[in-house]
Amino acid sequence: MSRDLSPKSLLGVAGAVATAVACFLPWSLYAGFPGKMLNTGFPGGARMYVLLLALAAVAVLLLDPPGRVRGMRGAAVWALVISLLTALLIGYAGGGLGKVAAGAWIAVAGSAALTASAYLLDSSSDRDRRVWSLPDADWRMPAEIVITLAMAGLALYVFVVGLGIPTSNVASGPDHTFRDAISLNDVTNGSEFLAFLFGIIGLFLVAGRIGLTASLGAITQRRRPALVTGATLAAIAFPFTQDGSPYALRIAASIGVFAAAAVGLNVVVGLAGLLDLGYIAFFGVGAYFAAIYSGSATSPIHVHLPFFLVIVLGALVAAVFGFVLGAPTLRLRGDYLAIVTLGFGEIFRISVNNLDGQSGPSLTNGPNGISNIPDLGLPGGFSFGDNHHLFGVPLPFQANYFFLEIVLVAAVMVAFLRLSDSRIGRAWVAIREDELAAAATGINTTRLKLLAFGLGATLAGAAGTVDAHVVKVAAPDSFTFIESTLLLAAVILGGMGTVPGALLGASVVYLLPEQLRFLHDLRLLVFGLVLILMMRLRPEGLVPSKRRQREFHERDDRSGALDPPPGAHA
Amino acid sequence: MQLFMQQLVNGVVLGATYGLVALGYTMVYGIVQLINFAHGEIFMLGGFGALFTYTVLLPSGTPVVLALILMLLGGMAVSVTAAVIMERFAYRPLRGAPRLAPLITALGVSIFLQELVRNFYPAKSPRPFPQLIPPDYLINLGGGVTINAPKLVTVIAAVVGMVALSTFVRRSRTGRAMQATAQDPDTARLMGIDTDRIIVTAFVLGASLAAVSGLSNGLQFGTVDPRMGALTGVKAFTAAVLGGIGNISGAVLGGFLLGIVEVMATQYAPSPLSGGAWANAWGFVVLILVLVFRPNGLLGERVAARA
Amino acid sequence: MTVLEATSVTKRFGGLVAVNDVSLTVSEGEVVGLIGPNGAGKTTFFNCLTGMETPTSGRVTFKGTPLRGRPDLILKAGVARTFQNIRLFPNMTAVENVIVGRHARTSAGVLSAIGRGPRYRREERESEEVARDLLAFVGLGHVRNELAKSLPYGDQRRLEIARALATEPGLLLLDEPTAGMNPNETAAAVSLVKKIQGRGIAVVLIEHDMRFVFGLCDRVAVLVQGEKLLEGTPAEVQSDERVIAAYLGKPPEDAGPKEKNP
Repeated sequence: MSRDLSPKSLLGVAGAVATAVACFLPWSLYAGFPGKMLNTGFPGGARMYVLLLALAAVAVLLLDPPGRVRGMRGAAVWALVISLLTALLIGYAGGGLGKVAAGAWIAVAGSAALTASAYLLDSSSDRDRRVWSLPDADWRMPAEIVITLAMAGLALYVFVVGLGIPTSNVASGPDHTFRDAISLNDVTNGSEFLAFLFGIIGLFLVAGRIGLTASLGAITQRRRPALVTGATLAAIAFPFTQDGSPYALRIAASIGVFAAAAVGLNVVVGLAGLLDLGYIAFFGVGAYFAAIYSGSATSPIHVHLPFFLVIVLGALVAAVFGFVLGAPTLRLRGDYLAIVTLGFGEIFRISVNNLDGQSGPSLTNGPNGISNIPDLGLPGGFSFGDNHHLFGVPLPFQANYFFLEIVLVAAVMVAFLRLSDSRIGRAWVAIREDELAAAATGINTTRLKLLAFGLGATLAGAAGTVDAHVVKVAAPDSFTFIESTLLLAAVILGGMGTVPGALLGASVVYLLPEQLRFLHDLRLLVFGLVLILMMRLRPEGLVPSKRRQREFHERDDRSGALDPPPGAHA
Repeated sequence: MQLFMQQLVNGVVLGATYGLVALGYTMVYGIVQLINFAHGEIFMLGGFGALFTYTVLLPSGTPVVLALILMLLGGMAVSVTAAVIMERFAYRPLRGAPRLAPLITALGVSIFLQELVRNFYPAKSPRPFPQLIPPDYLINLGGGVTINAPKLVTVIAAVVGMVALSTFVRRSRTGRAMQATAQDPDTARLMGIDTDRIIVTAFVLGASLAAVSGLSNGLQFGTVDPRMGALTGVKAFTAAVLGGIGNISGAVLGGFLLGIVEVMATQYAPSPLSGGAWANAWGFVVLILVLVFRPNGLLGERVAARA
Repeated sequence: MTVLEATSVTKRFGGLVAVNDVSLTVSEGEVVGLIGPNGAGKTTFFNCLTGMETPTSGRVTFKGTPLRGRPDLILKAGVARTFQNIRLFPNMTAVENVIVGRHARTSAGVLSAIGRGPRYRREERESEEVARDLLAFVGLGHVRNELAKSLPYGDQRRLEIARALATEPGLLLLDEPTAGMNPNETAAAVSLVKKIQGRGIAVVLIEHDMRFVFGLCDRVAVLVQGEKLLEGTPAEVQSDERVIAAYLGKPPEDAGPKEKNP
């Protein structure tokens, strides 16, 4: 196809140029708006993301890759959203639109022109997305390795930037309502995070629509060792980017626990297709086990077991619970299993609430939970509670727990990946696809479902023992139904049956409410909305397994429509 | 004996609430095989709709009976509107997707509705609900067993609602179309049944009954709280499964059974497992036991494996 | 040598007798056809043989050992089947479908899957080789990595057979293997069944295509209203008046049992 330079395209080019130039101009007439809006020159904050999106849009327009117009639309729309939102917020926080500098308006106008051009162009002329590969030459392998490592670096960079955006930390309580909540400061802080979020979404859309994501995915899949090395290096490097600040490390460690549990749940839900709504209870069993035998003063049992023993025993106890619950109930239909597991989760929460010596035997210290869990130590005198200096970078003690998390997540990931591509994993998928056919093919469906359920419980138990030491407390409130649903949301948002999906999903589900703190009490509201929209727009998750993707998009291939045909039934 | 009978009455009252809400779960599940986790929130919205009608719309001095009727209509209006919007924009687009996608949507809707009310409904929670039916008016049922007026109203409303629903489903044209759609949606469509409309009808009926329950719940306890839908929702769903999900009589039976079990266990379970602290756990224990021995619930039909 | 011996198998659903006192004996390497009008209880009889349904009464033995209980145990004993309405794992590739068929003949558990020792890797390699060979055997070598659901109908039937063969059966039950096939595909199915027979595997097949049945089977049994009307060589069955009557609907059919079709 020739590069058409019709008026429609020229409008887009002009818009992109105007937007890009505007990003080097000040957007605000007063200091104090975050994200560096004042300087002339290299842009910061929201301007950076608008610039990237405008450049991406015009690059797609001119280079004409497959999926050209749709890719361009993705970038243009989000550039417009960010610039408009930022301009309005600058005005709102500054006390009037007069406080908005011309640069912002130029950017709005430019990205509007870009968007108009993208929608005037005909997307039906787009060629189908394809997977690119590098030419077959001597340098192909090293180049692919470099690309793979770069992807890991990029992921680390995005993670650090995302976590580094300041948020306000005002406590929210049940009695806060909208009116006494959001302050000016919150608005401006939030604007930078939203610009970041929307920028990532826009760039992700472009990359996906022109086939870049699929191509990079194929490359990284081919270079597994490089991918593993890169990911490990990126994870280890993370604490060194924090300049001694514990805030992001604490969040990252929590994401790690959450991700490990999500991968475990992925065995149950993603592979075997069993709907477990009480998964957090198994996690809680591990956490309470670790807490009770941690030597904490608030534990009624004053026995301190070594941590390595605690991980193993905690996982085993959780496994026993899994088998005891699963053995009689796994014969049930899927949705019945959901309610039984939900019930088990509630029984667990109520039990730990009541085992305080008054409403029941003394074991869990009731609603207060077991707190002040002492720091872990390693046999050589190393305490996880100590701060360190390494390569001249201060590492707060939270980094120790972060490294422990990396080990845990890595172990769970390896187990998941190897299982999913094995006799057992294939049998699970077969059961999920057609249980009767699986039985007729020689699979003992009851036994394998029980295995998935028990193994999921085991992994959750192990993650729970670590969690107790990371957060230093095990209390009933941490193991409620909502936690189970958040885990499930992480698995499904990320993409069922894949490890990167579970990691990404865990990060999103954990970080989003965290970074939406500027919304105060509205953050859960927005989170609920995000869940709904996400299922509407991308039900297969952010990183779907190939199998899942096919499952969800079989209709697209035929009709080209995103929605299933009317009247199709679940 | 008097204590036992009194607790039985209390259990029936609790069960009436569960049963009414359970009907919404069971109808929607029976037709689209969707666990509509947001249905508990519809119940909550019914309570708030009634409260809003009373505090904002009704002039003071409205006669009690009229006020109650208008509050019920107000609550229903809110519940039904929410349910229809939810069905149209959240669930319907997902009808072709595997069942986990609508489930996550349901959880999202649930969080969204709860937070919406918590943040935007004026005044702090829990919100006082007008005690239009005096709770200290006791009716003697004989043998020293009593029931107070709001509780009696709850039971009566529940029974009326249940009878009305089952009559509707069995007798009316739309009701029979619902049964047909539940049996086999594709064939129903071929027979000229507008299945989309039938599904909406199921949501509307479920929401109406939930609103009845929301109002009577408010009258009974004197407060409404944005969080009250979550636990009631889970309990009602448990009741529906207990009775055999998709089965209307099953939902009612499951509701009463669950209510009675909870109340009785609170009273009679061996110490220290008795008392309010364990009440919620007992319901689930019974659920698990019932399902172990009757995997399709009490009145559920065996779903034959198809070869 | 007798492979399958079904003695007086009866299956009732409530008051309905779907299969009534049916006996069938199959010898090694034999191809037996099971014919009869719709609703005669053929599929239910298959279900009783494979553990999908528990017979109300009667006895089934495979190579002398009684078959009871779960489908997976019966499969492990050596009886594999296909389904009338094709039940593949739709979102798995062709080769994955066949590898799943190896489940009962392999043993790797959770720990060896995570550990991936030499034994595990050997077993995986063998499974892959078996699957590859079987796909070639049924003529699907070229679509190895296609998704099962994206294969044409005839290929799906052959894939289901390959999956069943991967379980190393002594007896293969085929439920309407040519349903929905065009004449070319049917001809290919004939030679496929012959090739399977050549491997020493006994085959029982339910079929409505009479040319297929009479051209292929060593013996044919006729089921009508849950009962075995007669059994004999294709020539005997073809010429029997009762069979013709059964197909043309001469006997009263109003009281006939319904076949439990999915």
